[in-house]
Amino acid sequence: MTPMKLVVIVCEAHAREPVLALLREAGAQGWTLFTVEGEGAKGGRPADIPEFANLQIEVVVRPEVAAVLLERLARDFFPRYGMIAYESDVRVWRKDKF
Amino acid sequence: MEILEAVRVNLLSPAVLFFALGVLAAVLKSDLKFPEQLYLGLTIYLLIAIGLKGGAAIAEAGLARVWLPALAAMVLGALVPLWTYPVLRLGKLPPVDAAAIAAHYGSVSAVTFIAATNYLTLIEVPFEPYSAAFLAVMESPAILVGVVLGKLAARQTGDAFGASLRTATHEALFGRSVVLLVGSLAVGAVTGSAGMKKVEPFFITPFQGVLALFLLEMGLVAGRRLGDLRKVGLFLLAFGLTAPLVNGALGVWLGRATGLSLGGTALLGVLSASASYIAAPAAIRLSLPAANPTLSLTAALAITFPFNLTLGIPYCLELARRLHP
Repeated sequence: MTPMKLVVIVCEAHAREPVLALLREAGAQGWTLFTVEGEGAKGGRPADIPEFANLQIEVVVRPEVAAVLLERLARDFFPRYGMIAYESDVRVWRKDKF
Repeated sequence: MEILEAVRVNLLSPAVLFFALGVLAAVLKSDLKFPEQLYLGLTIYLLIAIGLKGGAAIAEAGLARVWLPALAAMVLGALVPLWTYPVLRLGKLPPVDAAAIAAHYGSVSAVTFIAATNYLTLIEVPFEPYSAAFLAVMESPAILVGVVLGKLAARQTGDAFGASLRTATHEALFGRSVVLLVGSLAVGAVTGSAGMKKVEPFFITPFQGVLALFLLEMGLVAGRRLGDLRKVGLFLLAFGLTAPLVNGALGVWLGRATGLSLGGTALLGVLSASASYIAAPAAIRLSLPAANPTLSLTAALAITFPFNLTLGIPYCLELARRLHP
């Protein structure tokens, strides 16, 4: 099994397109996304309508891609969007998929 | 006295009462909640229903009668941000926030429009059945004007981040409400009243009930944001109540000037008075991410929308009455 990074981004629904564009740009090969609700520094996001939801975006990438991704998020996205991001170590089968 | 009676009839309509019930349930922190997918389903139904009906009416009236007021509606939508922006700047709002809010107020709320047509039907004031076309053309222009204002302001501060004007244009023109509305207007115009008869049992008869359901949900959605009122400040609160009065008057005046009937004039007033809280936030978040969404969304959804639904609609009708002796 190959070590990889799991990057999880929880962000406001309106940040969807710019975040997905960044994922492609940074070199992620795919992503998974689901609608969640929650509360944070920018207030509650009750997800009662799709636009007022949070999205949880999960992506498994090579460590160097994760570094680029998180750096870009910190620079361009954190100051502007309601968002958090974190990474953790995972091990994957079929490493060529990532 | 007539206006008080008009307000009373509006407040006691099922649609507005269900809205109030929704607000109450949210304020009381009831666990009443609509599934997110139901909300989406209801909006799709409502937009298609009014689009089809409006399209069939265009087929009947002919484009020759529709284009002038539709063009006027479009221009009005684009012009609203140009006066609201400097006013918001006077209120000490940062340029990018002023631009974002201006875009919300120039764009329109479909639900407010639908509630107004519902009210006119209830009190038996006829209106141009093709007025859904005005709704369709008023959503995008103001968003684009607001984005341009915001981009210009952001350029001065050196903050150029955010999607390009091209992306914003795509978002404003092909958002789901514009696509659904323009699409079903076209379908309605092609199939005419014969096509309308076929779908009537589904799109006309249950309409009132679906609208009541939807406004219950909108009451919940707006009610959950009442807490944000504390964050927006007195100036924006006053703006959220004054802008619909001024914009409503502009719309009514323009409706009269382009030869609309009493009902149609009131509807153009309501459209102009309303503020967008779905299409505008999506496009603005994308292209002006530096703007604070709480300000524009709270003003449009928690202040102006309930105001229009309850008082703004009869206010526009009353103004229209004065211009139609």
